[in-house]
Amino acid sequence: MPSNDHYVIIGNGPAGNHAASVLRNKDKDAKITIISDECTPYYYKPKLTGFIQGKISARELMVNGPDDYTNGYYKNIRIRLGQTIERIDPDFNAVFLNHMEKIQYTGLIIASGGQARVLPSMIPYAEHLSFIASYSDVMDIKDRIDKAEEFFIFGGDLVGFKFLRMLNAMGKKTSVLIYPNAFWPYNLTDDMLEKIIKSLSGLTSDIIVKDDIKKIEKNESGFRVFTQKGVVKTTDLIFSFNGMAPNIDFAVGCGLDTDHGILVDEYLKTNIDNIYACGSCAQVYNPSIKSYCVSIGWPNAMVQGEVCALNLLGEKKVVESVGRKYFDLEGVRIKTTWWDDINDDSLRM
Amino acid sequence: MKKNDLYSKEEKRFRDKNKIYATQSVKQIAYSTDNRDFGQVARSIPCQDACPAKTNIPGYIRCVYEKRYGRAYELNRVANVLPGVLGRICSRPCESACRHGEPENGVSVGICHLKRSCADLKPASHKIIEGLYSPTNKHVAVIGSGPAGLATAHDLAILGHKVTIYEAEDKPGGMMMYGIPEFRLPRDLLLLEIKNIVRLGIEMKTGQMIGRDITLDELKNDHDAVVIATGCVSPRMLGVPGEDLVNLHNGLEFMRSVNQGGKPFVGKKVVVIGAGFTAVDCARSAIRLGAADVSINIRKTIEYMRIDETEKHEAQFEGIKTYSLIQPSKIMGENGIVTGIEFIRTRLEKTQRPPYRKSVPIENSQFVIKANSVIAALGQTPDSQVISNELGSIDKNEHKSGIDGVFLAGDFVTGSSDVISAVAGGKKCARAIDEYMTGEIRKQTVVRLENHKTTDRPRAFDFIGKIVMNTVEMDARLTDADTEVETGYKDDQAHEEAKRCYLCNLKYEIDPLACIYCSACIDVAPKDCIKMIKDVPVATDGTFGPYVETNQWNNVVSIAIDNANCIRCGNCLAVCPMDCISVTKTELIEIDT
Ligand SMILES: Cc1cc2nc3c(=O)[nH]c(=O)nc-3n(C[C@H](O)[C@H](O)[C@H](O)COP(=O)(O)OP(=O)(O)OC[C@H]3O[C@@H](n4cnc5c(N)ncnc54)[C@H](O)[C@@H]3O)c2cc1C
Ligand SMILES: Cc1cc2nc3c(=O)[nH]c(=O)nc-3n(C[C@H](O)[C@H](O)[C@H](O)COP(=O)(O)OP(=O)(O)OC[C@H]3O[C@@H](n4cnc5c(N)ncnc54)[C@H](O)[C@@H]3O)c2cc1C
Ligand code: SF4
Ligand code: SF4
Repeated sequence: MPSNDHYVIIGNGPAGNHAASVLRNKDKDAKITIISDECTPYYYKPKLTGFIQGKISARELMVNGPDDYTNGYYKNIRIRLGQTIERIDPDFNAVFLNHMEKIQYTGLIIASGGQARVLPSMIPYAEHLSFIASYSDVMDIKDRIDKAEEFFIFGGDLVGFKFLRMLNAMGKKTSVLIYPNAFWPYNLTDDMLEKIIKSLSGLTSDIIVKDDIKKIEKNESGFRVFTQKGVVKTTDLIFSFNGMAPNIDFAVGCGLDTDHGILVDEYLKTNIDNIYACGSCAQVYNPSIKSYCVSIGWPNAMVQGEVCALNLLGEKKVVESVGRKYFDLEGVRIKTTWWDDINDDSLRM
Repeated sequence: MKKNDLYSKEEKRFRDKNKIYATQSVKQIAYSTDNRDFGQVARSIPCQDACPAKTNIPGYIRCVYEKRYGRAYELNRVANVLPGVLGRICSRPCESACRHGEPENGVSVGICHLKRSCADLKPASHKIIEGLYSPTNKHVAVIGSGPAGLATAHDLAILGHKVTIYEAEDKPGGMMMYGIPEFRLPRDLLLLEIKNIVRLGIEMKTGQMIGRDITLDELKNDHDAVVIATGCVSPRMLGVPGEDLVNLHNGLEFMRSVNQGGKPFVGKKVVVIGAGFTAVDCARSAIRLGAADVSINIRKTIEYMRIDETEKHEAQFEGIKTYSLIQPSKIMGENGIVTGIEFIRTRLEKTQRPPYRKSVPIENSQFVIKANSVIAALGQTPDSQVISNELGSIDKNEHKSGIDGVFLAGDFVTGSSDVISAVAGGKKCARAIDEYMTGEIRKQTVVRLENHKTTDRPRAFDFIGKIVMNTVEMDARLTDADTEVETGYKDDQAHEEAKRCYLCNLKYEIDPLACIYCSACIDVAPKDCIKMIKDVPVATDGTFGPYVETNQWNNVVSIAIDNANCIRCGNCLAVCPMDCISVTKTELIEIDT
């Protein structure tokens, strides 16, 4: 008998797509819909810097084209792009899109990822800041990056350093303001900071530490950045790299338990039976450290997507973190996988 | 020249669209006590319904738009005697309920910032108007000069009763004076609004502790009624080992000390425990006392923190981190002094009653972090023993104790809440006492309905972004710990923010007898606001329940506007070929009976 199930997946990143492909493999008849507010098909975020540099084409950036959802591995999965989930109504097993359409599901997977975090102190200047967190961010700024000569980067994080390497390769002039406590998801000790500065000195000649932005002024050609300690920098573009914040606004208050992200157990199940969450929007219970954490990285998102789908179909698989246990951050080995590990006191003091 | 040539094309279009003004010469006003009208007002104006004092929010926001700040202040003061105070520190339940903040509608209106604007921007010549009753020769004693005591005293004085407030502390204001820090609430403003209350002839006796200096029985004998509004003063304890260590502060005591100019030791690394106002104030005060690393640690998730978004934001801005899903299990110390804290991790578990989640410790998940001081800000409970152990059975709704003539108001009866709830409770309590002393109901709340022909605002206002509150920079916050962080909207900013309010007090209705079911209104509606309905059920409390919709034309009894979804854009009004859509201004007002 054909299945009447309709699995709805919010998010078209690695978590959402891997969940969809497992669902399709295991349940040939169910209706599967991926909904994403981005207009682009599934693409490699980690390759965005290569795309800006012109090393790869837009086609090479894509993991799947639209055709992949009618044929092959992702066969018969409905993909709805450019459509935003506004709200979930778990009592009626329905999601609402921002154009007021209601979609009924039997199982829901939330894989809505994260968005660039704006530091609270920077909210008044948010309109002057640029971010690299999605394809549309890149399309908005790509031409201006090509034309600009001087860049001011603040915060840090893994993506920030990737971007800095890219600018260096493009021959741009850069200033970097490093926040030791904004190296999401870690806090850097003085020792670590020293090593990083040494390593970065090959990429930029201008590194500011133990200081903060006081004010940003826009002028005709670009911006002037004033720091607390009196440094003034003139720049064409300002980039903020201060980690990602889970995209969960549409889920808050609907009955799902949320904190920084959507709270799920080690099986990636939320507090509501037929709703699961995975990837960088989920705050996952990790039995080994007896705590909830938000994972980072592409490999984690892929694995979580798969585990999520299996468990939605009735299995009981415990998710494990994948990838390197230690990250090499400009020559410094930092324990990774989990965000904000306040258990580790050395990171907090 | 034709008369029409006097106007530009744009102005002409505006005049044509609004020509209805010309016909609106006579106001039709009605007053209603029908439950269906109360229900409609509650459903239609979510901000007002969420406000414990039922402030006429769209009414005062409209006045701010018209730059009638004095009138806006008075509209506030009808419901709440401390507009300038609450415009700064209110917990803002209205903003969480505001229709502009619903999905698809953007961000809620800055209701509280606009309240502050009324107080800040009213002209120096503004006069407060009070509708005084003649003297009754009745005398009421109010114990406690917090917001509940002040509101009760004010409303009793208006009703012609003589009032004396007995306050244990040297200064009036309760937690507004001794709890909330000065960088959020300047004391000159607080004292000014208190002065505006007591100038009605209320006697304020400070430094008088009932139960110590005077007994409740003595007060009862000398007065026709007594109100206990002594708030919540007994701090909740952590109940874990190490609570007696030096540098473990109790949040309430810590704030009291800071507010009296004290400088309690905090050290560099401070761990604050608690999820409410007190916790955040302690954390922000610790930063001002020189701490470098301050965290707020909560048992549940950030969703369950009992503070508003602005406060969360300001705390984050000042570098305070929040750690969730942990609770303290032991305070660590050496030589009797705090050195750290042991936490145990928690998870959420469903419960049957609000807030529907509790935190449950996860076994064997303890961990330790270092700290120079710990501030336990877990909230507080009332201490009735000080005043009397024989208050008998308490009727919270009627504000009555078990003793004849002894009434209760504010946090003392509700448990730890907020200033606006205390003010609202004080008002209700004053009415109950008035009825007790005079045997009459002398004031009544009714729904005022007035015909109104226009939407009052163009649709373009719906797309204005929220105006951000002006604040002082970090340097200034640290240089003088009492510097007020928020500096208020300027005149043009208040005007701009006021444009954003939909004015939900305008009720849109389709006359089913005149409607020709052309559905032109449905075609232009920006929301799911106009519905084909087959029934309007009446709930048990006599109010209308939600419409029962149908898509079968045979069953349609009416096309109706759902005022709970309507954003008052006026599109339907503009297209209706039969002019069968009416607009009515609805307001809750207090009348003399
Ligand atoms: C520039 C850059 C470089 C990176 N480099 C690396 C790297 O080298 N190595 C590595 O491991 N990781 C890297 N990452 C991180 C990695 O890309 C993420 O960890 C991963 O994409 C997370 O996958 P996800 O499926 O959870 O979420 P995402 O990939 O973020 O996908 C979430 C999707 O949900 C959509 N969505 C959100 N809200 C809604 C809504 N309300 N309605 C509809 N759709 C919604 C989003 O638009 C998005 O399409 C990089 C990230 C960036 C930005
Ligand atoms: C640190 C802190 C910050 C807060 N921040 C906010 C905020 O931002 N917004 C908000 O809305 N609410 C806030 N609150 C809560 C708010 O202050 C209270 O809910 C409110 O003040 C309660 O009002 P009340 O009149 O019932 O009691 P209180 O304000 O507590 O006043 C009671 C008064 O009675 C006096 N008293 C007590 N016993 C006796 C006695 N035996 N004899 C004579 N007098 C006596 C006390 O001295 C006091 O003056 C905060 C509370 C604290 C502690
Ligand atoms: S839009 Fe205005 S009237 Fe409507 S809920 Fe918000 S503040 Fe109140
Ligand atoms: S005014 Fe009319 S069209 Fe506009 S939101 Fe209200 S009911 Fe809908």
